[in-house]
Parts: sequence; C-alpha cells; structure tokens
Amino acid sequence: MSLPIQAAGLRRSFGDLVAVDGVDLEVREGEIFGFLGPNGAGKSTTVRMLTTLLRPTGGWARVAGHDVVTDADLVRRSIGVALQDAAIDPLMTGNELLRLQATLHGIGRIEAKRRGAELLERVGLTAAGDRRVGGYSGGMRRRLDLALSLVHAPAVLFLDEPTTGLDPMSRIALWEEVRSLNAENGTTVLLTTQYLEEADQLAGRIAIIDRGRIVSEGTPQTLKAQVGAPTLVLRVDAGHRDEARAVLSGRFGTERPAPTPEAIAVGLDGGAGAVADVVRVLDELGAELEAMELHEPSLDDVFAEATGRRLEGAEEATTDGDDEGGTEPAAEGRRGRRRRGGTS
Amino acid sequence: MSGPGAVAVTTPAPGRATALVPATVAMGRRALLSIVRQPATWVPGLVFPLLIAAVNAASLSRTVDLPGFPPVDSFLQFLLPATLIQGVLFGGIVGGADIALDIQDGFFDRLMSSPVARPAILLGRLGGAMVLGVVQALFFIGVFTLFGARVEGGPVAVAVLVVVAVLLAVSIGGFAAGIGLRTGSQEAVQNFFPLVFVLLFISSAFFPTALMTGWFQWVAERNPLSWMMNAARDLVISDLAFDDVVRAVGIACGFAVVTVSFAAMQLRRRVRMP
Repeated sequence: MSLPIQAAGLRRSFGDLVAVDGVDLEVREGEIFGFLGPNGAGKSTTVRMLTTLLRPTGGWARVAGHDVVTDADLVRRSIGVALQDAAIDPLMTGNELLRLQATLHGIGRIEAKRRGAELLERVGLTAAGDRRVGGYSGGMRRRLDLALSLVHAPAVLFLDEPTTGLDPMSRIALWEEVRSLNAENGTTVLLTTQYLEEADQLAGRIAIIDRGRIVSEGTPQTLKAQVGAPTLVLRVDAGHRDEARAVLSGRFGTERPAPTPEAIAVGLDGGAGAVADVVRVLDELGAELEAMELHEPSLDDVFAEATGRRLEGAEEATTDGDDEGGTEPAAEGRRGRRRRGGTS
Repeated sequence: MSGPGAVAVTTPAPGRATALVPATVAMGRRALLSIVRQPATWVPGLVFPLLIAAVNAASLSRTVDLPGFPPVDSFLQFLLPATLIQGVLFGGIVGGADIALDIQDGFFDRLMSSPVARPAILLGRLGGAMVLGVVQALFFIGVFTLFGARVEGGPVAVAVLVVVAVLLAVSIGGFAAGIGLRTGSQEAVQNFFPLVFVLLFISSAFFPTALMTGWFQWVAERNPLSWMMNAARDLVISDLAFDDVVRAVGIACGFAVVTVSFAAMQLRRRVRMP
C-alpha cells in the first residue's frame, strides 16, 4: 500500500505569482497531518491540488495511491473534502444534503439514508436534520460539513481550516470529532490551520508552510525540541536563592532571563525528565521550593525560528491573503455574498 | 460506528464517474427544491406576464378589428402565447443564476471534488426548469381559459403548447446556465434579463408585425422570438394543423439545441481542472 498522500516538487503558479513553490509531502496511513501557516502561505492552494480542484503547474502528487491529475476520478472516490467556509446550500436541510452527497458518491438510496442518520448522530445534529441549513450556527455548519465529507467513508480526509471563525467551544467540539474519527476508523486526515493550538492539539505531525514552501516538518514535540530546551522557572526561599541559581545553571543548563527578580529561570537541557533531579538537588540544598513552572517551546517559537516572523497575532495583520482562492475570487469575495434564503 | 469498509458503495468501472441518471435525478431534485423554496424568484414570473396581458388587453382590445390583424376571437386570445412564452422566459433565468451562485459560494467545489458525472450538474438544472415550464404552461392556459380565451386547436394543441413551453424553458435555462458557468457570477446572469425583455418587446408578442412600421417592423420580422410567437399563436387561434405543430415544436427545438450546446460547452470548460 502506498502512502495516503505523497507529493514531490508540487508547484502552482498563477501568472507571475507562485502560490506553492515545490512542496514535498509524505503523509502516513492513519495519521493526522497538520499544515500550519499564515494566510496566503499556500495551504489552500496545496489542498486544492491534492483534492483535484486545481492542476499543479509542476511536480506531482498521489492521493490514496492515484495521481491527482491523470486519475482524478479515482482520487475523488477515495477522499472526503471539507473546504474553507463550509459551502452548503442554506435552502436544503441537513438530511437532504447528506442524501445528495451520498448520491454524488454513487451510494444507493437505502444505504444513504442509514449512513446519513448515523453521521448526523455522530456530529450531534440529529435533532436539526430536518431543518434548513440556513438556520444553523457556524459550528453546526462545520459539523454538518464534516458529516458530508464522511458519507462515503473516505480513506483520506481533507479539512481546510475547519475551525476558522468558530468560537472556542465549537472549535474544541470539532477537534474531539476529528480525533475520535481518526482513532476509531483510522481515517488519515490532512488539516490546514493558521492556529498554533489547533496544530499542536490535533496533529501527530506538522508541516509549517510559508510563502509556498515547507520550512519545517516533524512532530510538534520534535519541532519544539529543535528550538531548544524548555525553560524551567522556579522560586525558592530567599535564603537559598543565590546558591540554588548557581547550582541549577551549573548542572542542568544555562541560565535564562527570569520573569521576576525573585525567580530563577534555567534552560533545561534534559527536558521535562530532568525536573525530578532538579527537585532532588534543591532538596539536598535544603531549599524550600515555592513555585515551579516548565515552559515548553511553542510552535510559534518554531515558526519564528524558521521564518524570522511570529505567527501568533499575525492573523489580523495579514492582508495579502489573496493567493488562496485559485482562479476564482478569493475566499473574502465568496464570503461576502450570501445565497438567497440564508439567514446567517 | 462502522468502519470504512462497511459502506456499500456501488462502484462502476474504476476511473469513471458515478452513474449519470441517479446523479441527474438528485441534482434535478435539488434544483426543484431551490425553486419551490424561493417563491420570490418565480411568483413574479407568473404574475407580471398576467398583468402585462391585462393592461394590453384593456388598451388594445379594439385593434383586433384593424385590417391585417390575424383572425382572433379576442385580443386576449391573441395574447395567450405571448404571456405563456414571456412567463417561461422569465422563470428560466433562475436556474442559471443558481448555477452561478453555486460557483460563487463554493458548492461547485463540493461537486468537483466528488466523482459525480459532470453532465448531471447541467442536466439536473434543466430538469428543474422543465418541471417549472410545465407548471407555468398549465397555469397560464388555465387562467386564460377562465377569462374566455380558448385554444382553438383543442386538447392536442394544449399538449403541444406545453411541450413548446418545456422546450423554451430548456432553451432559456441553457442560455442562463451557459452564462452562469462562463462567468460564475449571479449578477452577470441577471444582467442578461433585460436583453430577453427587449427581444420580447421587439417581436410579434404583443402586436402583429403586419401592423408595425419602419425599422421596428424590420427588426420584429427578423426576430426569432417572433417566429416562435407566430407558430405558437397559430396553435391557439386556428384549428389544429400538422404543419403548425411541426413549426412550433421545430423552432423551440432549434432554440434548445443552440443554447444547450452553448451551456454544455461552458460546462466542459468550467469542469476542466484549472
């Protein structure tokens, strides 16, 4: 069995603009792979190529073992897709949409009905199944979109910014759903996100993409480990402070700037595993430990290391995100127009 | 929760899209739902042609006595085909605008990332337009009959008029869908609406071309909508004749072939991986 998603030198340009500039990808069976990057980094363009919506201008990609250009229909049979904005017809009910989606994938009427009911229950929309989607909340739309993408039990699931614009509660509910789906069915998931926490929480492995290139790749842990040691911040009784500082920085790592003058901060070379030793050493000194915190390096540190910029807080600042929409007007333009009858 | 293997997906030959017929039926049902649930898009198409007919019938009723006017019972009878065709042309724009809307809001991407047979996207819309065409035809003929405007050709002529209405619904639906697929803009489709309106008014819809003068007559005589109008009118105002049936159905078929080919071309262009 080949890899669920594989790409080499994948490129896409729109005129002079190079949106994706040589992406290599290997997503393994059954993993949740996170594609993390700011707006306009090329995440959506990559997903559109992998889901047969956009033709690569260079390189190749295989999804579920099939080439995305020459065997596009075979790819389409194997994938579930939930794109940005959850484009769902507000005039239709959840049940109607599920049945339509099933037919689009060649599933018979009876099976479609059974499957639809099962999926609605799974995403907690059974009660809303006969209501028009126009009256759904943002979170409900995304959950319905997820259910729609699962109708044909795809081997590979693509989620393009599944929680953008959702409130924290809905976001966590959707994460839970994706997690359990992955754990129970072994569905391979590729998800794009601009949220550090989402990538960190959900993805087993992450590729950080910036300006059309993957700048860093690995598990969240290894990526953060590359940044360096976590920072141990602690406070001991004033009498032992200087002694403790000298011993800790001598034995466990280098001293780092502490948040307050009373605190001691050390880059812990041995990682979290060394904390027990720290406690033991302090105990041997007779120091009284008042507080202790271990700060892991964040994915933002990783992103900053790779690009020289920070991702956190960049969402509001980014305005040049218009290479994400393919040949159609970008997402902003689409979002501005609403279907007649939509109430939200 | 069952595993991925538990779903019975009816798999046709590998590499091919899913079956065309069920997909077309499903897309047609969606098109109809969208019509039924947006009455604001088709109710005016029923009401306005009737209003125009009422105004014209009131103001122009005595023109039927002019020399050169076709032999009719009443001006209302003369107007029946005009109102019918006008209603169908108005109603048929909606489906095309809906296709454009699908492209605008991303629903089209959902279709494109599924293995659905691509022609179903267009055929479903046209199917929805056909059903609306039948309903409109029966509605207009019914209302005119209530007000005493008879179809001289009898039930057969009524049936032929319904067929003509369906063909015209497909024609205008194909035209609108083609524009929608080409531009991906709902506004663009709606901007073509006045063109249909002008074509209709510079035709024999509301007045016989024989009684027109100058450039207006010259244009109206060469306007394909006049040909359609005259053919449909003969079914209404004279006894059933095989020639009239062939002419009416033939002209409507001609329109349908041209616009559906245009729409099919635009669909092929649109579904090509960009």
